[in-house]
Amino acid sequence: MAAYETQGFSLDDSGRRVVVDPVTRIEGHMRVEVNLDENNVIRNAVSTGTMWRGLEVILKGRDPRDAWAFTERICGVCTGTHALTSVRAVEDALGIEIPENANSIRNIMQLTLQVHDHLVHFYHLHALDWVDVVSALSADPKATSQLAQSISSWPNSSPGYFRDVQSRLKKFVESGQLGPFMNGYWGNPAYKLPPEANLMAVTHYLEALDFQKEIVKIHTIFGGKNPHPNWLVGGMPCAINLDGVGAVGAINMERLNMVAGIIDRSIEFIDQVYLPDLKAIASFYKDWTHGGGLAGLSVMSYGDIPDRANDHSAANLMLPRGAIIDGDLTRVHEVDLRDPEQIQEFVTHSWYRYADERKGLHPWDGVTEPNFELGPKTRGERTRIESLDEEGKYSWIKSPRWRGHAMEVGPLARYVIGYVQGKPEFKEPVDRLLSDLGLPLEAIFSTLGRTAARGLEASWAAHKMRYFFDKMIGNIKAGDTATANVGKWSPDKWPAEAKGVGFSEAPRGALGHWIRIRDGRIENYQAVVPTTWNGSPRDHKGQIGAFEAALMNTPMAVADQPLEILRTLHSFDPCLACSTH
Amino acid sequence: MTDHSMANATGVDDDAVAHAPSIKSIYVYEAPVRVWHWVNALAITVLCLTGYFIGSPLPSVPGEASDSFLMGYIRFAHFSAGYVLAIGLVGRAYWALVGNHHARELFTLPLLSLAYWREVWAMLRWYSFTRPYPNRYVGHNPLARFAMVVVFLLTALFMVASGFALYGEGAQEGHWAHLLFSSWLIPLMGQSQDVHTWHHLGMWVIVCFVILHVYAAIREDIMGRQSVVSTMISGYRMFKK
Amino acid sequence: MTETFYEVLRRQGITRRSFLKFCSLTATSLGLGSTAVPRIAHALETRPRTPVLWLHGLECTCCSESFIRSAHPLTKDVVLSMLSLDYDDTLMAAAGHQAEAILEEVRAKYKGNYIVAVEGNPPLNEDGMFCIQSGRPFVEKLRETAADCKAIISWGSCASWGCVQAARPNPTRATPVHKVIHDKPIIKVPGCPPIAEVMTGVVTYMLTFDRIPELDRQGRPKMFYGQRIHDKCYRRPHFDAGQFVEQWDDENARRGYCLYKVGCKGPTTYNACSTVRWNEGVSFPIQSGHGCIGCSEDGFWDKGAFYDRLTDIQQFGVEKNADEVGLAAAGAVGAAVAAHAAASALSRLRSRPGTDQPKGED
Ligand code: HEM
Ligand code: HEM
Ligand code: NFV
Ligand code: SF4
Ligand code: SF4
Ligand code: F3S
Ligand SMILES: [Mg+2]
Repeated sequence: MAAYETQGFSLDDSGRRVVVDPVTRIEGHMRVEVNLDENNVIRNAVSTGTMWRGLEVILKGRDPRDAWAFTERICGVCTGTHALTSVRAVEDALGIEIPENANSIRNIMQLTLQVHDHLVHFYHLHALDWVDVVSALSADPKATSQLAQSISSWPNSSPGYFRDVQSRLKKFVESGQLGPFMNGYWGNPAYKLPPEANLMAVTHYLEALDFQKEIVKIHTIFGGKNPHPNWLVGGMPCAINLDGVGAVGAINMERLNMVAGIIDRSIEFIDQVYLPDLKAIASFYKDWTHGGGLAGLSVMSYGDIPDRANDHSAANLMLPRGAIIDGDLTRVHEVDLRDPEQIQEFVTHSWYRYADERKGLHPWDGVTEPNFELGPKTRGERTRIESLDEEGKYSWIKSPRWRGHAMEVGPLARYVIGYVQGKPEFKEPVDRLLSDLGLPLEAIFSTLGRTAARGLEASWAAHKMRYFFDKMIGNIKAGDTATANVGKWSPDKWPAEAKGVGFSEAPRGALGHWIRIRDGRIENYQAVVPTTWNGSPRDHKGQIGAFEAALMNTPMAVADQPLEILRTLHSFDPCLACSTH
Repeated sequence: MTDHSMANATGVDDDAVAHAPSIKSIYVYEAPVRVWHWVNALAITVLCLTGYFIGSPLPSVPGEASDSFLMGYIRFAHFSAGYVLAIGLVGRAYWALVGNHHARELFTLPLLSLAYWREVWAMLRWYSFTRPYPNRYVGHNPLARFAMVVVFLLTALFMVASGFALYGEGAQEGHWAHLLFSSWLIPLMGQSQDVHTWHHLGMWVIVCFVILHVYAAIREDIMGRQSVVSTMISGYRMFKK
Repeated sequence: MTETFYEVLRRQGITRRSFLKFCSLTATSLGLGSTAVPRIAHALETRPRTPVLWLHGLECTCCSESFIRSAHPLTKDVVLSMLSLDYDDTLMAAAGHQAEAILEEVRAKYKGNYIVAVEGNPPLNEDGMFCIQSGRPFVEKLRETAADCKAIISWGSCASWGCVQAARPNPTRATPVHKVIHDKPIIKVPGCPPIAEVMTGVVTYMLTFDRIPELDRQGRPKMFYGQRIHDKCYRRPHFDAGQFVEQWDDENARRGYCLYKVGCKGPTTYNACSTVRWNEGVSFPIQSGHGCIGCSEDGFWDKGAFYDRLTDIQQFGVEKNADEVGLAAAGAVGAAVAAHAAASALSRLRSRPGTDQPKGED
């Protein structure tokens, strides 16, 4: 590859190639290769989705009412969001309207996912990029306690509490069996937290591990289990019965109280543990400004969380909708998922086959036909790849583009769009956080900005759960207990041909499912997933995707230890099972 | 046959007299076979009806769950009839060993005998109207025997095996049905749902057999040269000519 | 010093007396005599943590997600004190070759003494390159890692049966673990995903008693997979009474009637959902109004639509349920019989008396 420019980045593959495979603490399987210049700065980045299951192929010919269950299994981490998007796509195709309660329940479940996924991501997938576990051993528990109490009123903060955790950790480390912490990059100069902050974070790593299992009980109540709760085309399967015979087996007062309690505790945990930790950690990394990538250039969100049922217009969606391109922060473009010119997927560099690979396909006409072939400059063998040839096909992820642009999606994209649209719910928390940290607005276009937006969004989502809970109670009070509309349950009532699109804002960003139904069966089903956007390989014009862009120009402290690469990739919370499906 | 109105009016039946010497009767089906046949027919009728409603239950019963046991009774009837069917088959198999040689026809097929196949062919021609009359058979006609062994007996055995495999699931490990059937048949067929599906389909095989069987029995009675239905009642096969 | 199971309990404020009581309860509940108590206690007090290498093939990671929902024991206690989770792509700090080095190390150091836990499964089409790890097919990594292990746990329906990616037409030829590894004991813990406490229950059983739980013919632990959802379903009285949800959100749904008619696969699904329930016993699919979809059963994706009580026959290219196939067949037979009867009657009418008499036996 000759050096070339795209989207304002200069790609140059002349330096030393470093391969990270597997990329860990993500969902699924991913590989990344970078070229470092003589100063260990990344000058070329190649990200690869290394798994494919073929859900779109498997869905063909099946009952559209079953599709949610298949697509839900695209991912167990963002569990439920594909199912929701799928039932929406089917309802859109068949013109099915859902009851208000079903809308509220779906929103509560989607928000539950946001809160849970963000929390687990921050502590269990991302924290170790910033937190040195071994350093926590040398912390002073008393000072840790002071630190914790200075940033939050969370009650678990006594010196004794931190001492207990520390001694448990000590024992663990001394056992010589380091488990998941084995071979970590402990002591790498890129770690900047003082021991006390490390101990606090490790403590909360464990606390969050205990707490996360509480949040999802909301899914369990409405959907019967988590991961992979149950959904229904036309509404929700959980009937509401507050005071009639058999109420004990339905959504009743006891169930509602449980949901309310979990919502309250989630709000508490996010606001008193997650956000303060986030801020505390960020304050030590203020000068690590890398990883902006496409964030300041091209971001997109579809919007989600419809306030009233069955209205999917931007005005009714509580999460913002729109696209920003070319870094023009003064303009939010409208996004139309039905317009064949807007969203298209390319496979020039993906392991798929199109009749004409210079053209993109709108998902309604999408084709998924695997074609594993490696470029001529690949080093190694077909089943023993040493390094990939990014001029050929190199990923199981397709390359979706919006009006030809590679886009970043996710919490940061949503916050940027909400911010630009001047929505106070999104603008104010950002301004507050930046001013608390003493940072300018541009600072959010970074790895840390992405991580911070996720935290802010977790808090937003937790509070919105309360809103929809109250809304549902109000609705029930007004006498409406319906949860499902079965008017078009039977395929006899469907047209011979129909097509629809469902969308949502998954934790990792904009998610769309496109369906074509013929004679009661799925004729074509295409999903374009957040990590498909972010992790996309190059397109026919050589434009890079959000992961690759974000890695560009990042200096590495130790070339052999991919800490900075992990940091930036993790800031997207990559989900590879999602991305390729 | 000659003028029947004459016989009715006068009591004189020349025809009967003319044929009297040629009506022969042979004791074919011993009592256990006949009893088994009708008990079996009843059990299968019950099994088909209850089985169908296990698969597609009746409209919901109103009121307290503790006040009714409709599905329970349907299933109970099914399982009881299932036991009758199974024990009946075992008894019938025993009689095949100790009964007369016609009692063995249900369990064997002379597949290697050319004569047998010639008779099957003859029956096929009789049924396809390309032969004016059938031959006389003391036991089952060869075609019927083929259907009874290949369709009825095998399907019945499959229904018993798959039925008890399903029954053993509810009875659970430790029950003989679980040990004898569920433990191997379910994994062999895939999973429980597959066993249900094939067991259900088996019902339709039996329904098809019964339709053909009853039709053939009545038709032979009318058009053939020997008694058929009454044979399964009295045990005697009568030859008209 | 290595922290042991006993120490974990101690640290959680459990006295030696109640620890021993725990051991004897464990012994009784497993049908072991009182003589086993000291042995169990000794094992829990001294054994170093068994290394677990948790591999991921084609999967959705929901099994990992489920695992971390465990309430008793807490996941943190499992990971910090009961076993040594030395490799797990989803949680481990190391990446790239630092991560892969661990596999080599554990293999060499704990030969014959580590457990391989597999989530997801290897695809075999395209030389295995539908799941690439370290530039190589996952199936190779699986084989190599399994070569020196003590036992394999197949997590979830993916590793146990194939699950969603193996649903027709299984484009990647996703293949369950037992069809790739033949020389190791394999414990299947199916479910999509399995229940958290079932997962940790199986693991802690193996660590506590240093043996593999009793398995059924298909390799599932009998203790959790010995009964069907339907055998222990709290809606069962409505099933027996003949009271069913006829349509979503109808009066019967609100009363919690049986979900059989809307496709519940509880009668054909072996799992612990109706007893252990999900997420600390909060609920399970049926309790929340949706039928069981049979997610712990082999090939549950390919039995026809989830909402049909009678599932499809997929053989011979038909995709109809038994009643559709059977009714069509019976209808055809009935019609043939009617036609034949009519033809017979006709031929009888036409043939004048006497002419159909045989001349003799031929
Ligand atoms: C569920 C329904 C039925 C089943 C499964 C059934 C099955 C059988 C079987 C297996 C045999 C062979 C008996 C043996 O060799 O031991 C047989 C014979 C016979 N069945 Fe049935 N049967 C059924 C109903 C009926 C009915 C309703 C009739 C009367 C219309 C009937 C008339 C006969 C006769 C006449 C024979 C003796 C055939 C011969 O003469 O060789 N069956 N049946
Ligand atoms: C001619 C013989 C039989 C017929 C036609 C018959 C028919 C059926 C049918 C149609 C079903 C419903 C299957 C489904 O859709 O899930 C069924 C279920 C069943 N049958 Fe049979 N069956 C026969 C023999 C037996 C026998 C011998 C047994 C042994 C006890 C048996 C035990 C069962 C059981 C346990 C079930 C499942 C009940 C449930 O799921 O609640 N069947 N049968
Ligand atoms: N990318 C992605 Fe997902 C999310 N969030 C889904 O739509 O994680 Ni598995
Ligand atoms: S078994 Fe189901 S839940 Fe587990 S990884 Fe496979 S698809 Fe996901
Ligand atoms: S709801 Fe399902 S498992 Fe429960 S009794 Fe009904 S059919 Fe059985
Ligand atoms: S769908 Fe799965 S979770 Fe349990 S109730 Fe059925 S086995
Ligand atoms: Mg797609």
